[in-house]
Amino acid sequence: MSHSATQASASNTAVPVVKKERRARQFWRRFSRNKLAVVGGVIILVLILTAIFAPLIATHDPIFDQDYNNLISKPGNGHLLGTDDLGRDTFSRLIYGARLSLEAAAISVGIALVIGVPIGLVTGYYRGVWDEWVIMRIVDAMQAFPSIILALVMAAVLGGGFFNAMVAIGIGFLPSIIRITRAQVMTVRNLEYVQAAKAIGARDGRIMFLHVLPNCLAPLLVQATLSMAAAIVAEAGLSYLGLGAAPEQPSWGSMLHIAQGYLNIEPLLAFWPGLAIFLVVLGFNLLGDGIREVLDPKLKR
Amino acid sequence: MAFLVRRLLLAVPVIFLVTILVFSLMHMLPGDPATVILGQEAPPEAVAALREQLGLNDPIVMQYLHWLGGVLHGDLGHSLVDNSPVSDLIAQRLPVTVELTIGTFLIALIIAIPAGIISATRQGKFSDYVASILAMSGMSIPSFWFAMMLIVLFAVKLGWFPASGYTPFFENPAANITAMILPMFATALREAAVLMRMLRSSLLEVMSADYIRTAYSKGQRERVVVLRHAFKNALVPVVTTSGLMVAGLLGGLVITESIFSIPGFGKLIVDSIYQRDFVTVQGAVLVSALLVVVINLAVDLTYSLIDPRIKVGKGAEG
Amino acid sequence: MKKPLQLSFTFLLAGALIASAGCSSSNSADTSKSDAKPATNAVKQGGTVNISLDADPPKLDPSFSTALVDRMVFQSIYDKLVDLDDKGNIVPMLADKWDVSPDQKSYTFHLHPGVKFTDGTDFNADAVKFNIERYMDKASTRRNELQAVDKVSVVDPSTVKIDLKQPFAPFLSVLTDRAGMMVSPAAVKQYGDDFLNHPVGTGPFVLKDRVKGSTLTLEKNPNYWKEGLPHLDKVVYKIINDSNQALNNLKSGQVDITNVFPTKEIPNFANDPKISVVNQAGQGFQGMHLNASKAPFDNAALRSAVDLMIDRDAIVKVVLNGAGTAGHSPFAPTQFAFGDTDKFERPNVDKAKELLKQGGKPDGFSFTLKIGTTPTNQQLGQMIQNMLKPAGITVNLEKVEFGTLIDQAKNGNYEAVQLGWSGRPDPDQNLYDWDVTDGTQNYSRYSNKDVDTLLQSARVEGDNNKRKELYDKAMQILNTENPYLYLYHSNNVFGLSKEVQGFVYVPDGLIRTATLSK
Repeated sequence: MSHSATQASASNTAVPVVKKERRARQFWRRFSRNKLAVVGGVIILVLILTAIFAPLIATHDPIFDQDYNNLISKPGNGHLLGTDDLGRDTFSRLIYGARLSLEAAAISVGIALVIGVPIGLVTGYYRGVWDEWVIMRIVDAMQAFPSIILALVMAAVLGGGFFNAMVAIGIGFLPSIIRITRAQVMTVRNLEYVQAAKAIGARDGRIMFLHVLPNCLAPLLVQATLSMAAAIVAEAGLSYLGLGAAPEQPSWGSMLHIAQGYLNIEPLLAFWPGLAIFLVVLGFNLLGDGIREVLDPKLKR
Repeated sequence: MAFLVRRLLLAVPVIFLVTILVFSLMHMLPGDPATVILGQEAPPEAVAALREQLGLNDPIVMQYLHWLGGVLHGDLGHSLVDNSPVSDLIAQRLPVTVELTIGTFLIALIIAIPAGIISATRQGKFSDYVASILAMSGMSIPSFWFAMMLIVLFAVKLGWFPASGYTPFFENPAANITAMILPMFATALREAAVLMRMLRSSLLEVMSADYIRTAYSKGQRERVVVLRHAFKNALVPVVTTSGLMVAGLLGGLVITESIFSIPGFGKLIVDSIYQRDFVTVQGAVLVSALLVVVINLAVDLTYSLIDPRIKVGKGAEG
Repeated sequence: MKKPLQLSFTFLLAGALIASAGCSSSNSADTSKSDAKPATNAVKQGGTVNISLDADPPKLDPSFSTALVDRMVFQSIYDKLVDLDDKGNIVPMLADKWDVSPDQKSYTFHLHPGVKFTDGTDFNADAVKFNIERYMDKASTRRNELQAVDKVSVVDPSTVKIDLKQPFAPFLSVLTDRAGMMVSPAAVKQYGDDFLNHPVGTGPFVLKDRVKGSTLTLEKNPNYWKEGLPHLDKVVYKIINDSNQALNNLKSGQVDITNVFPTKEIPNFANDPKISVVNQAGQGFQGMHLNASKAPFDNAALRSAVDLMIDRDAIVKVVLNGAGTAGHSPFAPTQFAFGDTDKFERPNVDKAKELLKQGGKPDGFSFTLKIGTTPTNQQLGQMIQNMLKPAGITVNLEKVEFGTLIDQAKNGNYEAVQLGWSGRPDPDQNLYDWDVTDGTQNYSRYSNKDVDTLLQSARVEGDNNKRKELYDKAMQILNTENPYLYLYHSNNVFGLSKEVQGFVYVPDGLIRTATLSK
């Protein structure tokens, strides 16, 4: 979760929002030419479909179908990937785990965007003492805090449960979201069309949300996608430390946590959820990287 | 030097805010330290006595100022659990994590530099493609899962390395290194991927610059060009990334340290959180934050030394 | 191990009773070929034994210790006035013998002569007085165990008399553990609050070096008062949190003894040439508190419905892989109070629904069960959740980090919380504080005058047969009211390298290092 890796490139097109449709088409054409990005997109699409159709794909109930005579078994007997420490079907739990992964990504990144973007907008737009000596120093302080420890303490402060854990992780993403929004705002705020809007007497709020914000969307989209990858890893990390999803919920992170106790007996039990996490994180990373390359022609191969 | 002074000044409120942040977070944690430290069987009188002894009945602001006062005099306080000086605990644990960090970083560099150069010089070719995919995969592997798989393969199945444990370096260097290789490697993969990608893109950017083209046109061999000119200049962003990476690793090896039972700095913080040893957590997080700030400053300084054109002092953006 | 020279009347009686109970049952799958009395001439001297512990001992001072792992290390550093033997009998240690007054309110201990603390100061009656009084201080976590003590008086340098306010049957049992450990008064005076980092006792080993979170290195006490002991030069405790990692280290020879063992692996080591598994009944219990002070569990019928739906045999099979016994009382199979009260009914949906109807919730109800974060906690919680479902009882599981869990349990901020107890030798130490009104571990906030009276009487009664009757009566009430649901007694499972000789399993589950050799 080192921020260096997930920090999206802030340098970006500060083009006024014109010819939306043409831009979208152009985006799609460039995107589909980037093979790796397409692979990432496909992985995420499969993840979403799996989450939606989990009940149709899974062969067993992921929570209550416990079989105490068939613990930690190898594949077979109607269990595609064997069973876990309560005799539940590992495959079915993996499938349902897709839902939690998506939720983890959506909640944490959603929280970070909802809180971080307005802060970044306001602070970047007005600048001044508050911006430089308070807000940005708080952001620095948060980034100087070891991120997994911030998440651990925040999760304990907010109280148990999956949602609170994801909020805690989302708070950890705030610094990068604020920075990126702010950096983008600063490149835009002095441009002609913003000055023009000011000149005709538009209110600050209107300018920020109608003229400045749309130009921040591209790097934010990249950052959000990459943060989703980080969120899934962070969820697994928190689960590893024993917090996060309720025990019966088939979160990949907690499956991994439980499987660690059986590494010597059945390493495959730890292999599958880890592989799932890896693939989804890879998907989000490829997608985020692809979007960045498409949006930032400078980085083109 | 003006920018350096400015950066130093800006670091002061950061450190100050870190102390407030860690102090208030610890006091917001559910679980009173006296209750947690004394455990299940403690009678209420013992809990009350310990609260009094630890000064937990004082107003919260007083507690903070008292702690801060000590810190300003170089006294991080004493552990609530066993009364040992927090500075001793940190001095015992930090070197372990520093060793882990240095090892991780070296392994990452050994992988990243050749891979980055190959990838950039053969841009668009098969080897570049493979390297890019591997780098992306490396970035996406959850390090603790990778650690578990390494344990299964190299410790349980092959028995080449111990599965866990730690021997101080000066007690037995060989045992120390064999025990540290798996954890270093487990974390290094991801960092190598990040560095390699950074090196590749900055090499590409530099190699498209005019002076490199001039060098080509003068007929020097490609390798010499790359190594002599491009590589040095491409290092600038890599140094930045490295700094952030090292800073992140110092406090971020919590899970690796747990998996391998390594008594490191991250594990000290987490164990102390679990025990509600507020004073130790506060001291350790403060030290970790200081390290991050100092490393960032050093990076900025290096940055301006390598490439004097860059004026880092301008504002705090980025 | 010296034979006691002379046995006082009470010691004989108590010893015999505990011994007869101790023989009852221990369903061990595999026991080490340990020899209780190794032939002294054949024992190898010198060498190091490495013992892995699953947690770092937080406080090496018996007066403030709160953790099980502390007690593990204490066995090497400190001696106690009296000890437990392999059958759970109370046997002499620093006290060669003791007399109990007929009214059972006064204990006179005759101390072993010539014992010195490892700082060179004398162990004598003054030291005993100092220690007991230190443990009675309000800041000490031992205070509760010694609340019956009225005063300690020095009769002569080798005789000390402890007067109790009223008879207290568990008194000697209490002295086999931390409250009976003798630390050097001189060292306490010298180090003050920092004594716990400079522990000094009369034990077979001395703490030489410690890396917090990693290792404790102990060296032989060359002047140990028990002749010929210890055999080893060094004992090193290594902190390895995960039981599988501990086992990996045992396999590779990095450690010789592990204090935990992954139960799933026990069968794999039945015929292992290098490693044996010690799998013996402990003294503790596992279960859950139901908060009797608020809905839904202020209703005894609902508590009983939950109790009835839990399939304890399945839990022992899945969670412990058989390394333990299903139960319904706080009394472990090795204790004299153990008996029929430990029996339980098989799950019965019809009967549970009847209880739900009685409790005014015919369609079932839901509650939140707070559990710790270890895989075992999670496994147990999910099984309970699944078992209650057929009766229409919905369990919301909430994982809570241990510090928060303790705090919330103590403050009654929960509906149900899963918390067990590692167990002590005397039944009183496993029951009284849990169920007596306002008891220190009565997190259920349960109060019943009859139970209070019975537990109080059992505490002052000297005769163990009569005590068992009193406990039986109390448990009959508690097993219908169910403020705490007893689930099982887990075994203590250690991994032991076959190179280690002289290992003796003691029912308190603490590893004695003096007799070990390698």
